[in-house]
Amino acid sequence: MKNYPLWKIFIVIVLLSLGIIFAIPSILYKEDTGSWYLDNRLNLGLDLQGGSYLLLEVQTDVLIQEEFENFSDTIRLIAREKRVKISNIEKNKNELKVRFDSADKLKEIKVDFFKSYRSIKFNITNNIASITIDELYKKTIQDSAIKQSLEIVRKRIDESGTKEPLIQRSGRDRILLQLPGVKDPERIKDLLGKTAKLNFHMVDDDDTKSLSLNVVPFGRMILSDIDNEEIKYLLEKKSRVGGENLIDAYASFDQTEGHAVSFRFDTTGAQKFGKATSENIGKRFAVVLDGVVITAPVINSAITGGSGIITGNFTSQEATDLAVLLRAGALPAPLEIVEERSVGPGLGADSIEAGKIASIIGMILVCIFMILIYGSFGLIANISLIANLFIIIALLGTIGATLTLPGIAGIVLTIGMAVDANVLIFERIKEENTKNKRIYETIKKGFDRALSTILDANITTLIASLLLFVFGSGPIKGFSITLSLGVIASMFTALMLTNLLIHIYIFSTSKKELNL
Amino acid sequence: MFGLNKLIPIDSDYKFLDYRKKFYIISGIAIILSLSLLLFKGLNLGIDFKGGTLIEVSTNNTDIGELRDILSPNFNEVSLQEFGDENTIIIRLQNENNQESIETVNKVKKLISNKVKEFRRSEFVGPTISSELLWKGFQAVSFALLAILIYIWLRFEWQFGFGAVVALTHDVLFTLGVLSILNIEFSLSTIAAVLTIAGYSINDTVVIFDRVRENLRKYKKLELLDLFNLSINNTLSRTVMTSITTLLALLSLYIFGGEVIKPFALTMIIGVLIGTYSSIFIAVPTLLVFKFRPQDEDEN
Repeated sequence: MKNYPLWKIFIVIVLLSLGIIFAIPSILYKEDTGSWYLDNRLNLGLDLQGGSYLLLEVQTDVLIQEEFENFSDTIRLIAREKRVKISNIEKNKNELKVRFDSADKLKEIKVDFFKSYRSIKFNITNNIASITIDELYKKTIQDSAIKQSLEIVRKRIDESGTKEPLIQRSGRDRILLQLPGVKDPERIKDLLGKTAKLNFHMVDDDDTKSLSLNVVPFGRMILSDIDNEEIKYLLEKKSRVGGENLIDAYASFDQTEGHAVSFRFDTTGAQKFGKATSENIGKRFAVVLDGVVITAPVINSAITGGSGIITGNFTSQEATDLAVLLRAGALPAPLEIVEERSVGPGLGADSIEAGKIASIIGMILVCIFMILIYGSFGLIANISLIANLFIIIALLGTIGATLTLPGIAGIVLTIGMAVDANVLIFERIKEENTKNKRIYETIKKGFDRALSTILDANITTLIASLLLFVFGSGPIKGFSITLSLGVIASMFTALMLTNLLIHIYIFSTSKKELNL
Repeated sequence: MFGLNKLIPIDSDYKFLDYRKKFYIISGIAIILSLSLLLFKGLNLGIDFKGGTLIEVSTNNTDIGELRDILSPNFNEVSLQEFGDENTIIIRLQNENNQESIETVNKVKKLISNKVKEFRRSEFVGPTISSELLWKGFQAVSFALLAILIYIWLRFEWQFGFGAVVALTHDVLFTLGVLSILNIEFSLSTIAAVLTIAGYSINDTVVIFDRVRENLRKYKKLELLDLFNLSINNTLSRTVMTSITTLLALLSLYIFGGEVIKPFALTMIIGVLIGTYSSIFIAVPTLLVFKFRPQDEDEN
């Protein structure tokens, strides 16, 4: 013991103290305190504290289709100006084929078309124009849509009053949301499930024939009423003013109409709205949200102030939600929920409780077993095991890792596996012990012999758990983190702490031989 | 101290390899059975890999049949199952597409809200995600096996790598077979369990191989068969000890860790048992196939 290198004692003491000091916040404190030290806690995953995990996919295909729709409208408009007849338009997934009656003015049409659009492929073969877009163009559309969507989703979530949400892009066209403590995920999903495209269109009440035959003339569209699908409206396709010009929206209450949403336009919007209403007094205009008509009142007088009110058969919640959506703005493309995992606070608390009990009982069982088999050496292994746990918790807390339910499983598993290094050492010492050497030499030989085995065995476990981290998702990553840290910590405690403790034990009991 | 440390004597001398043919047959049958189970019965895929909706509710002594009667007429594919105790019920539904899921959960909540104390969790996995997760899981397992093989190859002679991979594949297939026959739900956490088993089994094998290598250098004249037997016996008490402590921890996790973690713990328990068996009875005997002495090669 006198010859025991001081630096080893020093390292063990320093690492152990650090382990205990940094494990304390995670063990004792549950709330943020604002102190740098105490907030070095383990974060609880959504599966333990309750909350919602949502993975949304931005439906960028819709945008590409919309883009082709725009191409086709532009071509029709140009063709009309040039007095060229179009015999048919064929829309495929990645191509728009327009067949003209003659090939005469196709070149001119192409030139005109490129005034509105750039970097698009416009090929002419005889009397057919084929319009395609390349991957880069598609990617530009998708990227800008996802950036915009992220922005809008963030606004909507903030408006919903969720604390500390995590919102980030995931992969090519997905958005990942982590909403801790959300009690009503359905409301959030409702908020995210709506595109909230608001537009004001003039109603064409003169052309009753088209509506009754359900034929759509050029520049018009037919939409149905929000409350009754049977009621149809023939509307101008081009909107007079849209939601992008809104600067404010809030839920209000109207004496006669009930719950409503009041809104205010910016200057441009107010001008457009004023112009539209003053030119069309006596006619109806329709408020269209996501392709359905909410309401279509008759314009009694020009509205020039730039503010208005939308009424419908809203409930109070619906009016509030619509106001939230209008304030946050419209999504460029619909969002689809492709994965959801919501855990209520009850289950989360139960999981933590069960995890604690499983860890403690597992720990007690392993400790008892070790003492039964190895006696005093078992006690030493148990001290190492407890130190190991402190170090794992401290490491998890300081790197800001998130503890998940599989993570707890990883800790319990570590309890069982961490004694392995100790067992390997003890078994080696036991073997060396039969060779009648001096006691310190026996111990040194035991550790030396066990070292390469410990390294080989633990590195293979580390490989498996690292790959879990790379390929695993969410909670599984939590498992691989605790397992990896557990393996690393167990190597340290076995090789350094157990070694020191054995020397102290032999020195203090002045043993001359081991009865291992 | 308590006398139990002599539970497995240090100079144990079991002739494990004498029975190797029997164990080859046992394992062979187990693997064939596992493969045919996987092919014809398949795994009990959870929503992670199958897609669909899962809702866990706790009730106030509402009979599961009562809930079933409310839900069945409203959904095509709905199954209810008690989860741990009779007041906790899991409802599983299949949806055709992503958009349906929102409506499905809302509809279920509306229909049974007055019978239910708490909605404990709801999960939905869309069809694209479930196939991605399955693919990722498959990749994780394959790359892990490959990486371990490479490591063993670098650290030992390639014959050991072969033995390790035979044992590892045996363990993974055998475990999957048991999962299939016991109808244990196969989910993301089960994949984690399978990978951990791979890590554990290889850990076990490596410890014995380490000793084989050491003994090959130490006892140059010893028959390979005796040398392998000796190596297994040398490490036997460690193998048993570590298996027992790991199993104790896992048992505690299985019994007290809560319902959600049960399939994971059970898979691990099965895997640890199989992994321990294969290290002794499969991995080491496979080395006999090569009839080699690595140090002979070194000397030449």
